[in-house]
Amino acid sequence: MKPTIVKREPVVDDALDHCATKLTPEQIEKVVNEVIDKETGGRLWTYVNTCIHCGLCAEACQWYLSNDRDVSYAPVTKVKDTIWVMLEKKGKVDAAFIKRCSEIAHTECNVCRRCGMYCPFGIDIAYMMMVVRRICAKLEMVPLYLQDTVHSHAATMNQMWVKPDEWIDTLQWQEEEGQGYVPSARLPLEKEGAEVMYSVIGPEPKFLAQLLGNITAIMKVANIDWTMPATAGWDNSNMAMYSGDFEVMARVERLHYETAQRLKVKKIVMGECGHAFRGAEYDGPTWMGWMRPPIPLIHAISFYYDLIISGRIKIAKKAEGPITVQDPCNVIRNAGLGKKLRYIMNAVCENFVDVTPNDRHNYCCNAGGGVINVGPPWKKKRVQGNRIKAEQFKRTGAHTIVTPCHNCHSGIEDIVNTYKLGMHVKFFSEILIEAMEIPEDLQP
Amino acid sequence: MVNSENWDWECKEKLVADTTKWKSQFEDVWEPYISPDGEKIASIVKVGEGEFNIAVNKETWGEEPFEKIWYPRFSPDGRLTALITKEMEWTMAVDGKTWEEMYEYIWDTKFSADGKVIAATTKQDGVYGITVNEKTWKCPVNLQSIASYVISPDGKTLAAIAQTVRLAEADLDGFLKGTWSVVVNGKPWKDNYVDIYGLTISDDGKNIAAEYRAAICEYGIVVNETPWNEKFGCTWEPVFHPTNSDEITTPVRQGGQWFLATNGRIVWDTGFVSLLYQTYSPDGSKIAAAVAPQFAKWTVAVDGQPWSTTFNECLLKPCFSPDGRKVAVIAKDSGNWLLVVDGTVLGDGYENIWPPAFSPNGDKVIYKVEKNGKYAVAVNGKVKGKEYEALWNPVVSPDGTKVMICGVEAGKYYRKVVLLSDL
Repeated sequence: MKPTIVKREPVVDDALDHCATKLTPEQIEKVVNEVIDKETGGRLWTYVNTCIHCGLCAEACQWYLSNDRDVSYAPVTKVKDTIWVMLEKKGKVDAAFIKRCSEIAHTECNVCRRCGMYCPFGIDIAYMMMVVRRICAKLEMVPLYLQDTVHSHAATMNQMWVKPDEWIDTLQWQEEEGQGYVPSARLPLEKEGAEVMYSVIGPEPKFLAQLLGNITAIMKVANIDWTMPATAGWDNSNMAMYSGDFEVMARVERLHYETAQRLKVKKIVMGECGHAFRGAEYDGPTWMGWMRPPIPLIHAISFYYDLIISGRIKIAKKAEGPITVQDPCNVIRNAGLGKKLRYIMNAVCENFVDVTPNDRHNYCCNAGGGVINVGPPWKKKRVQGNRIKAEQFKRTGAHTIVTPCHNCHSGIEDIVNTYKLGMHVKFFSEILIEAMEIPEDLQP
Repeated sequence: MVNSENWDWECKEKLVADTTKWKSQFEDVWEPYISPDGEKIASIVKVGEGEFNIAVNKETWGEEPFEKIWYPRFSPDGRLTALITKEMEWTMAVDGKTWEEMYEYIWDTKFSADGKVIAATTKQDGVYGITVNEKTWKCPVNLQSIASYVISPDGKTLAAIAQTVRLAEADLDGFLKGTWSVVVNGKPWKDNYVDIYGLTISDDGKNIAAEYRAAICEYGIVVNETPWNEKFGCTWEPVFHPTNSDEITTPVRQGGQWFLATNGRIVWDTGFVSLLYQTYSPDGSKIAAAVAPQFAKWTVAVDGQPWSTTFNECLLKPCFSPDGRKVAVIAKDSGNWLLVVDGTVLGDGYENIWPPAFSPNGDKVIYKVEKNGKYAVAVNGKVKGKEYEALWNPVVSPDGTKVMICGVEAGKYYRKVVLLSDL
């Protein structure tokens, strides 16, 4: 097989560079074969042996399209340059190879699963990239900032090193902020038997605390019986899933659900995040042996859809358009919430302008899959790798992009800035809080 | 332990408080809590803009309101604690009287079994500690954070999972050298670890154990600062034998399967897809655990033998009857919560089921259930008596003949005592 011609600007990542100097061939061979023999099975072999190397997956990938159809970014190439070699050489590969595997799997693939839709056999190429990530994680070959985030999950059970008192204090502060919209609003902590446990991802208390104030007001207007935990287990995000550290992933997910079980809630409503939905709905439960989440999990898109369609929240003044939207892969392509997203967008926007392609076929934000979490060293490549997303948004002529996902939000802000799109990036709740009707008896 | 023998087991029914009056008396009334003996009901109430108090039966905690109040919890001896702020500083209040010391923050109130020890995590000048009956640990190192802590039944030993070493941003090497340890009564263990989980103290207070993480995918159990020789792909929280605190048991993962290990040795030779919540019988002669012999097929294994009945969603922690002959567990199957005893489902499914209590001889299992938004007491699979707007877990009397049922009906809080034989 011909070697792939790879042209990349050198990137310094201290963790990868350091790890590459200390890994031994014996370690690598042991881990590669352990993972392939004990953690994969018919699924991997079926995918590897079914692929006819047709390359149709390439046209699905935003990395490939944005880099002028550079074949080194094609999904099939990413497989060829990683897991195929490991299988062919039975794990006898060197540290430089494993380092390149991490660069491919952690920094050049968002495991967004768009390529699987374009494969004539439906091969889940992203699964194979996750196997590569697993091998890299067990060898500690994980980009520095992603690994640091995983360490945060492991030590604090949240993504952002938020300490227990900081979490509770932030909620109490944001309860007061929510009361700015609705004076009688309350953010009930540790309320056993509430209908809903609301969970968020680490960046909300750390950087985007106003979203907690918003939800406090929204819950009051919608008259939802809800609570939030004052303990670890509040963070529904899971970068350990994306580094390949599945033990930490499972511990985080287990605590999330056990917290909901302890509070005896009927369901968990989660904030606007895509990867967190994947981790909490699929990957975490599967590792734990649960067929489905032991407490039903509702993504914010479904929650807002229910509130609006049922009339629990009425829209007083639609946001002025044109406004477009980003379809987060993990809840749209992989969970089918596209129609609900469009319903709520039309409900709150005077002039909603859809993207093309859209819904399940939408392009990934290029930040998901843990790719934004690999941090500043890789940012330039990431933003260059999604030129087509910038072009797509530009065509809408919108002044605002709604992103019901934190990774999409951050990644698209980077694209807006780099490509000078002059657009605002907002979460859906930020539009809703301004558009919803606050009943007279709840008004300040 | 709480001495429930002194509780009133004679009065069949008393109206403790008419909480409907609170709604007209105060601007807002939060969810209620009751004392262990059922004689008091309390809620945080809003009395003005940024002014809160606590209503307890017919009274409040004095005239002077607090800026904020949260986490009201009754101690086992019936004192009401809550966390309050005055002039932007936090402290503990016990029956309305505040601790003298104020803190940057205070949270996670815990009690000894008799309620004499009241503890909480506190932060002052950026340093974390545990404050026990108003005295904060004097720790030789500044604790950077406290993740959680546990307290022995006698209240003499408190142990915390604490960050003992400051960590720079994105310092992966520093993290893997170990920044977390166990701190016992203010004294850190000699070693630091990558991570510590599942901290526990034996019932006699003599031994302390935890899971520790040795490397990225390497976990073990450390007991009194000494790690087991064996390491595993993953572990869950260890549990001490109830009468022999030299024995400790934990789920361990090897080769993609979960096993049960005691003192480092695999004792259940069958591997499971999942294994959680190992529980000793009261005399320690048996162990039950929630297991999944196959993916999404959950059941209880007793001494390694799974029940034949399986459930497709999840199981909570199993519990033994006082004589150790029976095992009950709350299971979820196809969206319904079920009460299961020795592999047999008792009665209907519910929207929620709370942890059950056995009668002394194990022939009756009594528990709180929720259906259609109302709560009731169920016994052996059948709902007994009225539905309530709010209900607390039924409590069996020490002599095993009576049950205390505390609930709210039409806004009024009642404490009732019924004969177990009538249920």
